[in-house]
Amino acid sequence: MTRHFTWWAERALLLLISAVVLFPISWMFLTAFKRPRDAYSLSFDFTPTLQNFVTVFSSPWNLGSMVVNSAVIASTTVAIAVPCAALAAYSFSRFRVPGRKFYFFLVLSTQFIPAVVIVLPFFIMFRSLGLLDTRIALIVVNLAIVTPFVIWMIKGFIDAIPTDSEEAAMIDGASRFRVIRDIVLPMAAPGILTSAIFCFILTWNEFLFGLILTRRNAVTLPVGLVSFRTERGDLWELMSAAGVMITVPIFIMALLIQKHFTRGMTAGAIK
Amino acid sequence: MRDRSLQYLLLVPAFVIVLATTLYPLGYSLATAFRDWDLTRSRQPEGWVGLANFSRALTEPNFLNSLWVTTVFVVSSVVLTLLLSNSIALLLRRKGRMHTFTRTVLILPFAMSPALIGVSYRFMFNPEFGVISKGLAAIFPALDGVPWLASPTLSMAVLVATDVWHWTPYMTFMCLGGLASIPRETEEAARVDGASGLRIIFEIVLPQMKGVILVTAVLKTIFALKMFDQVVTLTGGGPGNSTETLAYFIFNVGFRWYDMGYASALAWILTAIMMLISAWYVRMLLSERKMATA
Amino acid sequence: MAEVQLLDVEKRYGQVLAVPRQSLTVVDGEFLVLLGPSGCGKTTTMRMIAGLEDITSGDILIGGERVNDKPPKDRDIAMVFQNYGLYPHMTVEQNIGYPLRLRGIERTERARRVREVAQKVELGALLARRPSELSGGQRQRVALARAIVRTPKIFLMDEPLSNLDAKLRVTMRAELKHLHHELGITTVYVTHDQIEAMTLASRIAVMREGRIVQLDTPKRIYSEPADLFVADFIGSPSMNLIEGSIENGRFMAEGISLPVGVADRKDVVLGLRPEELEIVPGPDAPVQGQLYALELTGDATLATVRAGDAFVCARGAADFSAEIDSICHLAPKQGCRLHLFDRVSGNRLAA
Repeated sequence: MTRHFTWWAERALLLLISAVVLFPISWMFLTAFKRPRDAYSLSFDFTPTLQNFVTVFSSPWNLGSMVVNSAVIASTTVAIAVPCAALAAYSFSRFRVPGRKFYFFLVLSTQFIPAVVIVLPFFIMFRSLGLLDTRIALIVVNLAIVTPFVIWMIKGFIDAIPTDSEEAAMIDGASRFRVIRDIVLPMAAPGILTSAIFCFILTWNEFLFGLILTRRNAVTLPVGLVSFRTERGDLWELMSAAGVMITVPIFIMALLIQKHFTRGMTAGAIK
Repeated sequence: MRDRSLQYLLLVPAFVIVLATTLYPLGYSLATAFRDWDLTRSRQPEGWVGLANFSRALTEPNFLNSLWVTTVFVVSSVVLTLLLSNSIALLLRRKGRMHTFTRTVLILPFAMSPALIGVSYRFMFNPEFGVISKGLAAIFPALDGVPWLASPTLSMAVLVATDVWHWTPYMTFMCLGGLASIPRETEEAARVDGASGLRIIFEIVLPQMKGVILVTAVLKTIFALKMFDQVVTLTGGGPGNSTETLAYFIFNVGFRWYDMGYASALAWILTAIMMLISAWYVRMLLSERKMATA
Repeated sequence: MAEVQLLDVEKRYGQVLAVPRQSLTVVDGEFLVLLGPSGCGKTTTMRMIAGLEDITSGDILIGGERVNDKPPKDRDIAMVFQNYGLYPHMTVEQNIGYPLRLRGIERTERARRVREVAQKVELGALLARRPSELSGGQRQRVALARAIVRTPKIFLMDEPLSNLDAKLRVTMRAELKHLHHELGITTVYVTHDQIEAMTLASRIAVMREGRIVQLDTPKRIYSEPADLFVADFIGSPSMNLIEGSIENGRFMAEGISLPVGVADRKDVVLGLRPEELEIVPGPDAPVQGQLYALELTGDATLATVRAGDAFVCARGAADFSAEIDSICHLAPKQGCRLHLFDRVSGNRLAA
C-alpha cells in the first residue's frame, strides 16, 4: 500500500519540480505572443500574434543587430577559446609539467574573481584605444571569462580517456602530434563539443561587460533587454519577445547535447 | 625530446589569453585601488593615496550596507540551493519516464540568461498584472496587492528566488554525480541490516556525500558573491539600497559616479573575500583527497 | 629480431625507488616472462624497454643500439596492452592498419597485409566492425594482429590475457605459444599468473619489489627455487613450506621427521610440493597429522593434513577418501626433491 503511495508521491513531486522550472519560461513565451492588452491580463485565452516580434526587429529596437552581435561575439569567442583550451587541457592532463599544479590552480583561480574587478581596467583600456562599443572588445573580455572554465571542462573529459590507446599509437609509430590528431581529438570530440556549447552559452548570456562596454553598435541581446524600459513603463510583451529570441537558440543547443550536459556539469568536480 | 618542449608549447596559447585578459587587468586594477581617480575630472589617475580608499570603505555606511546585503543574500541562497539540490537529487536518482523528463527540463534554467530571469521575475511579481503575485493572491487573499518589489525584505526574497531558480538545477546535477559514485552495496547492506529508507539517507548516503556537498557549497558561494545581472534587471538595487549587493555597489561607484580609484579598492575587497573562500576550499579539497586515498 | 639489454638500469619516481639498479639480457628470439605479484616492478621494467617510461640511470640497448633517448615510435617494437588499447573510433581493419598507415604504406599494400594478419588470428570476418561491437577475446586478437602486422624487432606484452575468462585464457595461451614458434620474434611478457609463465616462457624472471630474484628456465625455477618467495609463488597448489630445525641429520617439526643430508641447524624451512607427496598407510610415515580438508579436482584429490601448526597438502589418488580429523600419513614419493631454506634470509640452503 505504502509503496503505491510513494510511487505516486514521487511522481507528483517531480511534476511539481518540472512545473516550477518550466513555468517562468512558458509564461514568458506565452506573453511574447500576446497583444499588449492581453499581456497585462492573466488570461490563457487570447489570440496569438506575431506583432511583437515584428516590432522588436524594426527600429527603434533593432533586435536584429543585437542578434548578429551576440552571434558573432559568441562564435568568435568559442572559435578562439576552445582550441587554445583543448591544447592546454591535454598538456595538463598528460604531461608532468613541473609546477603543473600551480599553473592549473592559477588558471582555475581566475574563475573565483568577480567580473567587476577587471571591468574597470578594461573600460579604461578600451576607452583609450577607442575600442569602446565594439565587438572586439567584448570578444576579449568574454575570453577572460570563459577560457579557464573551458580548460577545466575539457581537462575533465580528457582525464577520463584511458591513456592506453595513446600509448599504443606511440608504439605503433605516431609522433605526439599525430597521437593528438588521430586518437585523442576523435575520442574527446563529444567532450570538446559539450565544452564549446557551454562556452557559447556563457558568452551569449553575458551581461555585465556588455552593459558597461557598449552603447549602440555592439549591444548584445541580454543588454538589449534593458532598452525596453521606457519612461512610460516596461514594455513586457516586447521584452518577452526579445527574451524568446535570447533563449530559443540556447535551449536548442542545450537539448542537443543533453546527454553530455550532465557530464559536463560534473566534469572534474567529482573525483 | 620533442615531448619535453611540446608540453610547454601546448600551454602557450591558453596562457597568453589568460595573462592578457585576466592577470594583466587584475594588476592594473590593483594599482588603481591605491590611487585617487575621478573619471569625470581627468582621463588619468590623479595621485597616490595609499590605503585611503580602503579605509574610506570601512567607514562608509553604503559599503557596510552592501556587505550586509551580500551576506544575507549569499547565506540564504546557498542554504536554500543546497537543501533543494540535494533533495531533488535524491528524488531523481532512480530511473523512470518522469525522472528523465524532469532531468531534461532541469537543463534549462542554467542555460537562461540571468538578466532575463530578473526581467521575467520582475514581470511575474508585478502587483497589478504579475502572474505569480496574482496567483498567490488567489490562494492567499491576504497577499493581494502586496508590493513585492517595493518592500525591502520581499524584494530580497524575490532576488534570492531568482538565484535559487537559476542555480539549483546545476547543483542538482552535481549532487546526482556524487550520488552515482556511492557504491550501491553500502545502501543494500544497510537495508539488509534492517535500516529504514530515511535512516539510510541520513546515516549512509549523506555522510558519503560530504565531499560533493562541500564542493557545491563553496562553488555556490562563489557564484552568489559574483551575482550581478539580476540586481540590475529585477530590483536596480532597490528599494533604496536594500538589495544593493557589493558587486552592484561597486558597479555604481565605478560607472555611475565614476570614482575609479575607490571602485577598484572595493572590487579588490570583494576579490579578497572570494580568494579567501576559494583558498579554504582548495585546502579542504586537498585534505579530503588525502583522506580518501589514505 | 634482436636482443634487449638492460645495463645497470634504475628507475626512481622522485624519492621512491621503483626498480633498483640491475641488469638483464633478453636473448634474441627468446620468450622472456617477467613474473611477480602486483607492484613488483615488472610492468615498469617493460615500459622502460618500450620507452613509455624514462630511465633514471643506466642504458637500454635494442639490437646492440642504445635507445635511451629514442621515443617509442623509433624503437621498432610492438606492444599488446592489458586493456588492449584499441582505437574505439576506428574499425578493426583501420586499427590493425594504423601502424602501416603511420609508416606511409599505401592503401592496397596495407589492405593486403591487414587481411593476411587477420586470417592468421581468425578475424577475417570482423574487419568492418568497431571494437565496441567485439567480445573480449576478439578485441584481444585485434590487439595481437596490430602488433604482428609490422614484424617488429621486439614484442612486448603487458598481461594480455588477464581480462579474459579462464577458458579463453587457456585457448589464447596456446595461440600465443604457436605464434611465437611461427614468428620467432624476441618477446618480453609480463604476468602475475605463474601458470602462464610456466607454459609460455623460455626463461622466467621472477621479480619482487623491483628486484629480479631468479632468472632461469621454467624447469629449473620449478625444481630449484632460489628462495622462499619463488618457492611459494611457483606451483599450483603452492609448495608446502614447513618451519622446523635439523637435528641428527633429520628435519624435525611437530608430526614430521625426515632424513636430510644437511648439517644440523635451526631456523630451517622445508619445502615439499603436493604433487611429490603421497598418502601412505602405516604408522611410520615421515609426516603425520589430522586430516583437515579434502578437495576433489577431478583427476586427483588434494588432502590437507594438519601437523602441529603446519598445514601440509598432498596430491592423492582421485578415489581417495577419509574422515575429516582422522589421522593421515604422508610420505615423499620415490626420488622427489626436498627443498630446504633458511628461515630468516629465505635463501635456498645448499643441499
